[in-house]
Amino acid sequence: MSDMNIETAPNVQASEHTEPAIAPLPPSKKPPGPWMTVVKKFFRNPYAVTGLIVLLFFVVISVLANVITPYDPAKIDLMNANLKPGTGDHLLGTDELGRDIFSRLLHSGQISLTVGFSVAAISVIIGTLVGAISGFFGGWIDTIFMRLIDVMNSIPTLFLNILVMAIFGTKIHYMIMILAFTSWMGVARLVRGTYLQLREMQYVEAARAIGVSRTGIIFRHLLRNASFPIIVNATLMVGGAILSESGLSYLGLGIQAPATSWGLMLSNSQEFMLIDPLQAIYPGVCILAVVLAVNFIGDGIRDAMDPRQKKKISRRRLDKWRKNYSKSGI
Amino acid sequence: MTEYFIRRLLQSILVLFLISLVAFGLIHAAPGGPTQMMMAPGVSPETAKIQAHNLGLDKPVPTQYVIWLTNMLKGDLGHTFKNNLPVGEVLWPTVGNTIKLMAFAWFIALLIAIPWGIYNSTKVYGISDQTANFVSYIGFAMPAFWFGIILQELFSLKLDWLPLSDMYDMDKQGNFGNLLYHLILPCSVLVLGFLASYSKYARSSMLEVLEQDYIRTARAKGVPERKVIFRHALRNALIPIITIIGLDLPILVGGATLTESVFNWPGMGRLFVEMARSREYSVLMAITLITAVVVVAGNFIADILYKIVDPRVKLGSKGGKSA
Repeated sequence: MSDMNIETAPNVQASEHTEPAIAPLPPSKKPPGPWMTVVKKFFRNPYAVTGLIVLLFFVVISVLANVITPYDPAKIDLMNANLKPGTGDHLLGTDELGRDIFSRLLHSGQISLTVGFSVAAISVIIGTLVGAISGFFGGWIDTIFMRLIDVMNSIPTLFLNILVMAIFGTKIHYMIMILAFTSWMGVARLVRGTYLQLREMQYVEAARAIGVSRTGIIFRHLLRNASFPIIVNATLMVGGAILSESGLSYLGLGIQAPATSWGLMLSNSQEFMLIDPLQAIYPGVCILAVVLAVNFIGDGIRDAMDPRQKKKISRRRLDKWRKNYSKSGI
Repeated sequence: MTEYFIRRLLQSILVLFLISLVAFGLIHAAPGGPTQMMMAPGVSPETAKIQAHNLGLDKPVPTQYVIWLTNMLKGDLGHTFKNNLPVGEVLWPTVGNTIKLMAFAWFIALLIAIPWGIYNSTKVYGISDQTANFVSYIGFAMPAFWFGIILQELFSLKLDWLPLSDMYDMDKQGNFGNLLYHLILPCSVLVLGFLASYSKYARSSMLEVLEQDYIRTARAKGVPERKVIFRHALRNALIPIITIIGLDLPILVGGATLTESVFNWPGMGRLFVEMARSREYSVLMAITLITAVVVVAGNFIADILYKIVDPRVKLGSKGGKSA
């Protein structure tokens, strides 16, 4: 509660400022809930907002890929191969098979973003489920899941991904599943830790006393209180998934032609490095920009959700004030 | 301590056993199993049967597992399907090459990252600190192999300063100077990746220690700042750094796969990718198991070291590293 009071205080002051008359304060509105506070704080963070804008930009141009470019990303046109950027309608030129690079970039974006978000969503669901059950019940269930996590963490993820992709074939939904199955452990550990703490709280006891079912407690009462770190982790996972996808596709064990992804474009570009070095730049810049954007958003959400973060910022300001005061000689 | 040691050891062995089950199970879960994978498409069913019998693939799966595991424990990694070479002969040289690459990159990264992180912890939000922050953001968001490709284009093709790929020039096999020359580009890629995390670890670990009461006491007593940093703070800050680095071993073993592929480095990661493409299961299983052994051993040693170095850690606490 005290946290909310601090939050509303500046607003009250501001309204006093604009209306110097002794007018009675307007009846205070319902204090903003924790979610509103987070949203407000998030939009005050310039990095996070920039990240959001960049990500939205990529989402929009990938979704509208067919509208933006008239070219089919997989259409081979050997008469127009290796065109320089800006030739005719080809904004970024064409590759060694005459495919329009700009169009390929946009369509790659579709795949990379789909993989990124689906993997994050699925692995968060798995991780939350495992962590919740493990943390709530404890005992042998917990031991089994924790050993499972140890096992998963002891095999390098990339090896496991390569193994599965090589064995089961390189379809996009396989890829999403395997990437999700190799990245849920972090969330599971986190959720387990939170549940271990929370299950001893009095409100859980109260809920149990009035006869709320175990599932009710796990998924309604506890999940809400564990949701902040889960969301942060999910956001940061999107970037990791996009990077993994590009790595696998680069190795030839991910997305296959005629479909296209940024990783696949990079592996292509390496073969034709001497002819057109620029081809390697575009997809890499796209990956970098998207992952950076997602990570900024994740960090922004984390900072916004962390009540301790306020202290950190004020300390920095405090230093500034101190400096100013010492200059002015007070 | 002994009790903890034994329990942790048994745990590690259990994990390794489960990993061997996973590795073996995955390959036998493949549609058609290993038999179908290794047969040429035109082979008649009879020949396939004889072949499978020769390789012991017609036995029940649990029996096959036991045979495979006992062979592994004896140090017999099996044979490749294609040329019937002993797996060890294919594998061990690449392990050496990966270690050369990784050890070099890791050493340089630690040499830069730890002093840098310590320095940044003393000048928070300074130019150096902001640079480190920038480097780690880029390092985390950039695909390492892309950075490798860019370096190749710039330094090998455009400027022609450094070799494009491989470990040695054709006529200078085994020459150490030549090896160093070839190490520069792949190492730069790996070092950036390590720097991104290690300098942050070092910084945050130092910052945490610098807020402790005994540091304030030391300063209040008039201990010179240099001594406070290096004697009082650094010693305590190094403990978490060591643990985190120990837990990072999987990256050290498996993390060079993409870099090796970009630079055509004849290491274990690249071998794994090649063997996955040609479905040489015995090699894949061997690599998976060997990396797992290294990783589990690394975690085990890090845990034990942690307990020895840091007397505050409660002995015999359940669950080892809690989240």
